[in-house]
Amino acid sequence: MSLIEINGLKVHYPIRGGFWNRVVDNVKAVDGVTFDIEAGETYGLVGESGSGKSTTAKAIIGLEKATAGTVMYKGKDVTKGENRRKLDYNRDVQMIFQDSLSSLNPRKRIEDVIAEPLRNFEHLDKEEEKLRVLQLLDIVGLDADALYKYPHQFSGGQRQRIGVARAVATHPKLIIADEPVSALDLSVQAQVLNFMKKIQRQFGISYLFISHDLGVVRHMCKNIAIMTRGRIVEVGTRDDIYNNPMHIYTKRLLAAIPETNVNHREAHRKHRLEIEKIYQEQQKTYYDQDRMAFPLVKVSPTHSVALPPELAKKFEQQSENKGVNV
Amino acid sequence: MKRDIEDATTISKADLAKLTKEANEEATPSRLKIMWGEFKADKPALVSLFLLVFFILFVIIASEFIDVPKMMETNIMGYYNKPFTPDYWLGADAGGRSIVKELIVGSRNSISIAIGLTIISSTFGICWGLISGYYGGLVDLAMQRVYDFMMIIPMLMTIIVIVTIIPHYNAITLTLILSIFYWMGTSRLIRSRTLAESQKDYVAASKTSGTSNFKIIFREIMPNISSLIIVDTTLSFAENIGVETGLSFLGFGLPMGTPSLGTLIANANDPENITQYWWTWLPAAIEIIILCLSISYIGQVMRRTTNAAQRRGQDQK
Ligand SMILES: Nc1ncnc2c1ncn2[C@@H]1O[C@H](COP(=O)(O)OP(=O)(O)OP(=O)(O)O)[C@@H](O)[C@H]1O
Ligand SMILES: [Mg+2]
Repeated sequence: MSLIEINGLKVHYPIRGGFWNRVVDNVKAVDGVTFDIEAGETYGLVGESGSGKSTTAKAIIGLEKATAGTVMYKGKDVTKGENRRKLDYNRDVQMIFQDSLSSLNPRKRIEDVIAEPLRNFEHLDKEEEKLRVLQLLDIVGLDADALYKYPHQFSGGQRQRIGVARAVATHPKLIIADEPVSALDLSVQAQVLNFMKKIQRQFGISYLFISHDLGVVRHMCKNIAIMTRGRIVEVGTRDDIYNNPMHIYTKRLLAAIPETNVNHREAHRKHRLEIEKIYQEQQKTYYDQDRMAFPLVKVSPTHSVALPPELAKKFEQQSENKGVNV
Repeated sequence: MKRDIEDATTISKADLAKLTKEANEEATPSRLKIMWGEFKADKPALVSLFLLVFFILFVIIASEFIDVPKMMETNIMGYYNKPFTPDYWLGADAGGRSIVKELIVGSRNSISIAIGLTIISSTFGICWGLISGYYGGLVDLAMQRVYDFMMIIPMLMTIIVIVTIIPHYNAITLTLILSIFYWMGTSRLIRSRTLAESQKDYVAASKTSGTSNFKIIFREIMPNISSLIIVDTTLSFAENIGVETGLSFLGFGLPMGTPSLGTLIANANDPENITQYWWTWLPAAIEIIILCLSISYIGQVMRRTTNAAQRRGQDQK
């Protein structure tokens, strides 16, 4: 059984307007998202800005009310507040935020920041608590003198590590990391990512790793979902996504990864322009008249793609005839 | 599960004392220390602080030694006595009452009312604004309608009517009555900042850390708007000295026979007093100006304390 199962999750924001301030329309920030996260794995959620990644994360952790759909954890639907409280859900599921500065209360000392989940979920005495905070600081590679400082006295990378320390304090089973390194420069990115990996090995934590950077995701995740406009367009293993992308949106995202090898630069540029052209031509077929993605179709046991209906039909026939083979 | 964390580090109970000491040496100075440093760096504010504290203590203690009913008796012999005489340091008014004594007792009354009014109305306004801004939605909507209702009531007129129909009232009831009408400005200000503050990620982080809404409002958000609260409270204090004074000036403040800064300034209602008997109203007027100036200097220092970028005192460890 999976650690957590997200099923048909929707988050719609009402747009109010008109004379009576009625709901005139909805922003479909998340529109029917389904995926499972296994224990101990890192699940990647990728998409451009505004595709609904953060909203998905917030709905899973309970910060945003789900309009429809379920998030099943230990057999209970945790989109309901009372189930979250009953399970001590937030002891098991924590979050690392995109903006490390804004996620740490500027008026609180680091000790109080890291001890906050401990105080709520594990009632330790003063000595034990301080010891635990010091141990957590040590795990993320910060010295004891950080204890009585304020968040603004640290660098971005250090702050993000404080965020990591807070997230692992109660020994959660799942950490939702919403673009944990996108605000950091490259050298620090690697540092924080390696910390996260190390902690995962030590504690057996699962991550929902949200990013718009396919390079970083490749480094971190075994299974990946590609998201656009509130829907998932392609799900698969790392191999499926990087070596056999099938949705034009995924192909375009992959082509946009910068090429570091100087010799291939020109070829890469050509490839990218080609993909962009195909994308512009086929956009109509890959999205419906409301510019939404189609439902997912299984193309292999691990790989599902939101193919247009005609292509999808062809696929079903093919797989019936020859078994699953792409 | 605790084991895992312990296994991943080399820090154990034995290191606790040593590491705590290390952390203490690197600790950021406390708020009080910073505030004191700021006062030392700003001499006018330091003088204001001493002046204000000394003055408030003085009028409170000195008025304990004054027999108020006796002081308020009319004394024909002292009719408009000139100031700077042994019996009447600051002269006397039309009733022959000593201005100095009236000033002391009046200051105590006015300042006490202003302090009481500030404490009650600011506390209420801050809570109202915090709760309204934090919860938003229907709670906010309902609370803002109450606010709107209070705003459209003609305040001064209502106060005057209440004061007139209540048969017996004293300084305490007057303070309570005024408090009903003076929380709205604060609440609006606090609400708008709380709305912005509630959107920040640290509030979300507190929620996912299992902290209750009540604690988030008062222990997470409130410290972050403390500079606004402090500045607003000091300014309301200065303003509230004026509220009681103004009402008493109009004759609707404290009941007859209770001196206040307002009743003293009301002496200036008489054109003859303004020109000839200046000592009956001028000291009270000067006192109010000095008080309000001092408070605003102090308010500025407090604001600098809460805003690191504006500090003047050097950071001391
Ligand atoms: N409170 C809200 N009210 C209305 N619309 C919202 C609200 N929050 C988010 N949205 C909309 O939902 C969509 C998804 O937002 P979301 O923050 O989930 O994007 P994202 O994928 O995390 O983007 P980024 O990579 O920039 O962080 C956006 O189009 C945004 O405008
Ligand atoms: Mg986001």
